Amino acid sequence: MPSSVIGQTPSLTTFLKSLRQNDIENSIELFISLLKRRQIKNSRPCAIATTHLLLRVVAEPKRKWDAQKLIARVRHVGRRLIAAQPREMAVGNIVRRVLGVIREVAERDEDPLTDSEFSGSASPITGEFQRPALPTRFSEFSPLHGAAAMPHNMHSGRPGTADSTSMDFGSAPQRPALLSTNASYAGQGPPGTSLFSILQHPQGRSPMATPPPGTQSPVTGPSPSRKGTGGEIPEKLDIKAEVIDGIKELQDELDVVDNQIAESALDHIHSNEIILTHTSSQTVQKFLLTAARKRKFTLFHAEAYPNNHEATHATILNGAQGEDDSNERWKPLTSLGITVILIPDTAVFALMSRINKVILAPHAVLANGSLLAAAGASTIALAAKTHHVPVVVLSGVYKLSPVYPFDTDELIEYGDPSKVVPFEEAEFTDKVDIVNPLYDWVDCDLVDLYITNLGGQAPSYLYRIVADHYRVEDIDLNAKQEAMAKKG
Amino acid sequence: MAEQGGPAAQSKAVDESKVSAAELKKRAKADKQARRAAQKEQEGGPAEVAPATNGAHQEHLAQAQGVQQDQKGKVAHAKGLQQPKPSKQGGQEAKQDRGGPSQAQNIPLRSRAAPTAPSKELPKKDNTVVELLSHLYPIQRRPNLAGVSKDVHPAVLALGLQISTYEICGSSARCVAMLLAFKEAIQAYTTPRDTSLPRHLVSHHLSPQIDHLRSCRPLAESMGNAIRWLKKLIVELDPDKLEHEAKDFICEEIDRFVHERITVTDQAIAASARNQIRTGSVVLTYAKSAIVEKTVLQAHEQGTRFRVIVVDSRPLFEGKRLATSLMRAGLEVQYVPFSGLAHVVKDATLVLLGAHSMLSNGRLQSRVGTASIALQAHKADVPVIVCCESVKFSGKVALDSIVLNEIAPPEELLLSAVPEKPHTYPVGAATTAAVGKSAATGKDAPEDDEPAKLKTLHDWNSAANLRLLNPMYDITPAEYIRMVICEYGSVPPSSVPVVHRLANEGM
Repeated sequence: MPSSVIGQTPSLTTFLKSLRQNDIENSIELFISLLKRRQIKNSRPCAIATTHLLLRVVAEPKRKWDAQKLIARVRHVGRRLIAAQPREMAVGNIVRRVLGVIREVAERDEDPLTDSEFSGSASPITGEFQRPALPTRFSEFSPLHGAAAMPHNMHSGRPGTADSTSMDFGSAPQRPALLSTNASYAGQGPPGTSLFSILQHPQGRSPMATPPPGTQSPVTGPSPSRKGTGGEIPEKLDIKAEVIDGIKELQDELDVVDNQIAESALDHIHSNEIILTHTSSQTVQKFLLTAARKRKFTLFHAEAYPNNHEATHATILNGAQGEDDSNERWKPLTSLGITVILIPDTAVFALMSRINKVILAPHAVLANGSLLAAAGASTIALAAKTHHVPVVVLSGVYKLSPVYPFDTDELIEYGDPSKVVPFEEAEFTDKVDIVNPLYDWVDCDLVDLYITNLGGQAPSYLYRIVADHYRVEDIDLNAKQEAMAKKG
Repeated sequence: MAEQGGPAAQSKAVDESKVSAAELKKRAKADKQARRAAQKEQEGGPAEVAPATNGAHQEHLAQAQGVQQDQKGKVAHAKGLQQPKPSKQGGQEAKQDRGGPSQAQNIPLRSRAAPTAPSKELPKKDNTVVELLSHLYPIQRRPNLAGVSKDVHPAVLALGLQISTYEICGSSARCVAMLLAFKEAIQAYTTPRDTSLPRHLVSHHLSPQIDHLRSCRPLAESMGNAIRWLKKLIVELDPDKLEHEAKDFICEEIDRFVHERITVTDQAIAASARNQIRTGSVVLTYAKSAIVEKTVLQAHEQGTRFRVIVVDSRPLFEGKRLATSLMRAGLEVQYVPFSGLAHVVKDATLVLLGAHSMLSNGRLQSRVGTASIALQAHKADVPVIVCCESVKFSGKVALDSIVLNEIAPPEELLLSAVPEKPHTYPVGAATTAAVGKSAATGKDAPEDDEPAKLKTLHDWNSAANLRLLNPMYDITPAEYIRMVICEYGSVPPSSVPVVHRLANEGM
């Protein structure tokens, strides 16, 4: 261990500093022990740490990657990280996002159009794999990458599918017509397809059919040879560089996620509303601060005893003072003229008849729209449902996990019982079983709205965002990985 | 300007008062100290402590022993709004006995200071009021004996202190204690020559006692019912009865009331409720209800094997006392903070709750948090049973928890200054450690590494828009309650007004 770590509480900042000095294996070990000892807690620090770590893993100097090896390497590291703390779902989410980035880069590389000039318009064209050609936002490296050119490419591409002059970049837009034939669980085909177009292609392949494995489309036929002529080495460097770019975009996304969520604050908070919130979440505070600049409302803040109440008190009184993972300082809400009323968690039902809105911040969001939040959130959400008060959940997409909660009990982490009753009370702690769960699982029908950095969504839409950001084969990192080239 | 009362103490007051405090404030302090000195002479009081650091605005929930006389004076002045005029007159009269030129100087000062000082205090007081619940302010607590009317019997004084500091907590306990204190007060009563006991006792002797108790803490519903019963009893006494006979009769009736409506009733309810606990039951309860405790202990003595989950909450931590007593009786107890409710309610097979009062629309008024317990249990299909004596049944109705409630002093929400972070790394520790340190300790970290001093919850008054709200009760809707067990049997919540009429109004 480098000596700079000694004398400081191990945490995210020390870990990030040490990343620069340590070699990769040591860094991984350090992160694993930080996770196990819960010296890195909560979704955002874990996500940031994972991103930096994976960046270093990918950017390993003097190492040449091809896509398969890189994927295997990241999966291996990811498995270890997730095993260290399975309940920190943000770690797994980032690992899967990075895997998604790698796969996309790889698919783009197999595609002759590796030129970045066309990364804009050609973004939807990623090869014959399962990536659905959706007219909606479509990710190349980052989920925010638009795919604006899709539909009209389809139409122009129709007659030219059989054209094998794929070298010509001008005909690149024609490719999607064929590629969209792959089935994807996201469902719809490109808008230009119609029964009429099927009749126009008597070659025997309907636009909707999955190409049988093993065939090479006339379009992609020439590409392997072109890859071969291009030479192995520049392509591998490309993969590394592009994956690194992708991970950096991921880091940027993590940095701005709160600001993006806060952008919709004015749409949802209006004057003279009475809002209830819970715990010391920075996302919620920034959201409310943005609204507080233009609107006057009242806030009831439940203090989340015994795990979070000190942080909640500090946030209410002091705002942020530039802590571990961000160097921001912002003033507390009270200084902006907002009346903040601190209440114990028990008073939530009593006051709920006067509350207009509940705002929660989750620890993790699950694929079916349910969430894991700090203990007490279930009581709040139930009380809100009883009184027909809307519940709004603020969450960045990095908290969205493709995992389906088959057993909700195993997702709950238990905290330190001495926070409830200190160990000095020996008789009590000896004979009485003290339970201190840290999280609550809140079912999806108790939530009315998710506000993510991509905007507002109903809980029923989250599965689409999951589909956009994660690959099916990455969801289970323990599964045997199939050969990438033949994926279909 | 300022005259006697200790120039040293006064200079201290001058030092400590804020820059913006006008001379009026100084004068108010001066005459407070004058009054204090007079009281000291009067009562031969013990210790003398320097005036408190802050102004007299905060109501301190100090223990009886810890309260010093100077605070008495300050609190008395702070309560000048609440205090009826007579107490002030009483103070004046007492001072006049000491006499002297100081009197003449003080009176005009006081009358000048009196109207303005409260107005200076009012804006500060408004800062702590949550407008939503403004009908429940000002907060009634009386942790010391300043300015109490001379008619209040010492037993009632003592009781008031105990109730104010939660030593006696729980509506049955308070009701019984109140009736016992009234017994003593009634025995100490003498009818004046020209009137009779039934006519005079209630309005002139009992009422000051009741008012005093009310100023210590709002009366519980059971106490209200008991007082109504007692007044009716006294008023209907035969006026020809001899005084000592009448007093004895009243005391016997009080004993009978306590015995019938609380002691025996508790046993009957416990016997009925313990049949609900079967082998393998998991009983979930909240805070500390005397009757639930009795039920559980009786069921355990019967030999049933079951376990108990006790849910507890801040700031009173009553559940901890219940858990301790159950643990000592040999039960298997699981103790959970309120945040763990959703997790443990799935394991429960029965929820037993105590009550502060049952309302006539079938709703349950009980310790704040009970409604959430009942809601979670209802969602998990766990039956909720309320054990409640008929003396707590009320004719009132409420639709939500805002209508009928009691607000406790916000200072009770403050955590005691216990240094929680054991590791204090010397060199530039991470901000989180500093925040934790400053959150734990109060003002004794002026030389932080941080340029600005971080505030703790103890500084809540300095944040202009921050309020602390500490409600004591909440109302549980009737649909979450399966059954109410009282001495008349096990009834659904909709039968509450019937039982109330039977038990409390028919007498």
